[in-house]
Amino acid sequence: MAQQSGIFHEDYRSDLQLRPTTMQRLRLVLLFVFLFGMPVFAGSLEMRYANNILIALIGSIGLNILVGFTGQISLGQGAFLAVGAYSSGLLVVYLNVPWYLSILLAGAITALIGGFFGLPSLRLKGLYLAVATLAAQQIVQWVLRNWDPIDGDINQRVGEALNIPAANFFGHRLNDNEYAFYFVVLFFAVLAVLAATNLFRTHIGRAFIAIRDQDIAAEVMGVHLFRYKLLAFATSSFFVGVAGALLAQHSTSISWESFTINVSIQYLAMIIIGGLGSVSGSIYGAIFITLLPQIIRGLGNGIEDALQLVASAESQLAAHFAERFQDLLPRIEQGAFGLAIILTLILEPEGLRKLWQNIKDYFRLWPFSY
Amino acid sequence: MYRKLLFLILITAIVPVSGALADGHSIKIGAIFDLTGPTSDVGTSYAEGVRAYVDWVNGNGGIGGMEVELFWEDYAYSVPNAEDLYTQFVEQGVVAFSGWGTGDSEALRGRIAEDQVPFVSASYSAALNDPNDSAPYNFLVGTTYSDQLVIMLQYMMDQWSADGNDLAEMRVAFFHHDSPFGTSPLADGEAVAEMNGVATVRVAMPRGATDLSAELENADNQLGGMTHIIIQNVSSPAALLIRNATEIGMSEFVQIGCLNWCSDEILVELAGDAAEGVLGALPFGPHTVPVEGQTDPAAWLEANGSSLAETSLHFTQGWWTMAVILEGVRLVVESGDELTGANVKAALESLDGFSTGGVTSDTITFTPEDHRGNRSLIIFAVDMGEWQAVSDVINLREMPMSDES
Repeated sequence: MAQQSGIFHEDYRSDLQLRPTTMQRLRLVLLFVFLFGMPVFAGSLEMRYANNILIALIGSIGLNILVGFTGQISLGQGAFLAVGAYSSGLLVVYLNVPWYLSILLAGAITALIGGFFGLPSLRLKGLYLAVATLAAQQIVQWVLRNWDPIDGDINQRVGEALNIPAANFFGHRLNDNEYAFYFVVLFFAVLAVLAATNLFRTHIGRAFIAIRDQDIAAEVMGVHLFRYKLLAFATSSFFVGVAGALLAQHSTSISWESFTINVSIQYLAMIIIGGLGSVSGSIYGAIFITLLPQIIRGLGNGIEDALQLVASAESQLAAHFAERFQDLLPRIEQGAFGLAIILTLILEPEGLRKLWQNIKDYFRLWPFSY
Repeated sequence: MYRKLLFLILITAIVPVSGALADGHSIKIGAIFDLTGPTSDVGTSYAEGVRAYVDWVNGNGGIGGMEVELFWEDYAYSVPNAEDLYTQFVEQGVVAFSGWGTGDSEALRGRIAEDQVPFVSASYSAALNDPNDSAPYNFLVGTTYSDQLVIMLQYMMDQWSADGNDLAEMRVAFFHHDSPFGTSPLADGEAVAEMNGVATVRVAMPRGATDLSAELENADNQLGGMTHIIIQNVSSPAALLIRNATEIGMSEFVQIGCLNWCSDEILVELAGDAAEGVLGALPFGPHTVPVEGQTDPAAWLEANGSSLAETSLHFTQGWWTMAVILEGVRLVVESGDELTGANVKAALESLDGFSTGGVTSDTITFTPEDHRGNRSLIIFAVDMGEWQAVSDVINLREMPMSDES
């Protein structure tokens, strides 16, 4: 692990620590105080966004394991999320499996299916693999739309949305309750971050990285390519399946419309903007992509309010402009979303993780930066 | 560069502070519209209609002296967006909600019931009419897609028989939007067709397709000679389908019909001459058939530099949908009860024969057992580029056959 100079380890135990310095530990404590304190001061809308971010974070860590760490491109993220969501939903609805078990089982089922769709990865690389995973996206979507899982009929589904009954969380209703749900997602998110961080300190994680950097060299060194590529697909899909299951439990009603190719692309955007091959990058990306539309909307509404204030001060032109702006705002929002992504990438192609690193370095070296 | 970055971060931190300036003396209504998504062609003028009605009510003194405040956003036809915006508006205290798509309305209905927010969407999916069980707070102002399809099919069968043909030779293809909205009425339509010995096939119209000739040929082959097409989609793809049918010479012997989201001026404009003779199920009448209920919308549009002819019939649709929501609110305010979602729901359920001035083929009536406001239709057809009525009111409430579809 790269560290600034002046930090010395005297035994293996301290060498293996994830957070070796006091500053880092202090930051971690502050982060946890913030995370656990959040429900005290946040409204249910903020809690909803927090939940969305935490779910997206688990999914993007999963995708980053596959794309960022192992170098296998996947466009099937939406499909794997759907598999997780439907597995969890169907298990709860038809087999009365407790919701917490259903989330773990959904992860396992998605890992199996993800592993299956990872089979072509032995022969295909790069864009070719991307197209193969695109097929996974299409196949899963088709099955969801046309197959009734209960009577096995094809093409006879009428009510498209799968409704999931209320889950109980220490006597609180879990679904539709952003506060209770927050602790559930937080638990899974912390677990996911810990698991992923530690994964890349084991021989399995090292093998993934070796495959990404140079697959032939990895094989020569004794990495069983097929096994580890499949393992990467399965591990990644497990995370994504858990994220999908949480999505289902969060929303209480799922339909295939929430898991289209757009979702796959959105998740790819998260890890590219956040930083490929980095767990913290996945976190920053998830926060950025989930909050960006809200921030742009907030900015837009702020400008609109300001315009209306000017308008009420009897300026005809401002009144006219305020009205036009209100009509144009949704279009501007769409454009601004794309613009913000492009600007982030131009500013720092290595993603938000690097950006944050730069900021930290700047203050660490200030005022004697070179 | 970093100074700029810090500035950006600061802005992000400040933004959430900007919110609506609300006081206790306004009536808050939430709304989501599709202004940038795949159904924005019809969604834009619908949104204008909804907002125009609120503006008109406020211009006429509001409701019981209180101003109506509309909280609205574009949600680009995305279910997660709809869920976020719904949460936001409910937190801001809305007492009723004007929704849009089938997918998002179905996804939200559990939460709607929990929050007790009457929800009137532009989706007329019959699955949303379930007042005693899964959807106690959903109301359908327009004729349901299922009822539209059944009436359209009934009209086509009557015409087919009247022309001296055998129903056993009638073959109908349902071309539908690739979503819950598109598939929602198909099972009910297939049931009626089967009862009458009419063969049917479903064809999904891929989103963003630029040519649908292959789908047309395919349906024709599957049916062994297609005689009718019924489209459940929005105007732009429907117009494409109709143009393609003309190009491959199919429209000469195939009768095409559109359910409500593609029966409008946009379709006529996009399909041009190919639209001639296309049938339409219009729960909200077009401006070419003037009725009293168009006077106020027309006056509002004129005052704002537009006219009914320049917008589409979805403007009056949005206008009268919001009128129904606010009628429920008005009843609660006038009765002196507290303005809550539960009371608005009760008021809507007492709505008996609410007149839309002839814009809908029947008056709007809700009961605690049935949240379908209108079960009738007039079938229209495109004649010289304008929608004209070709049938009388066909009312399923008066027909014993389709009591429960």
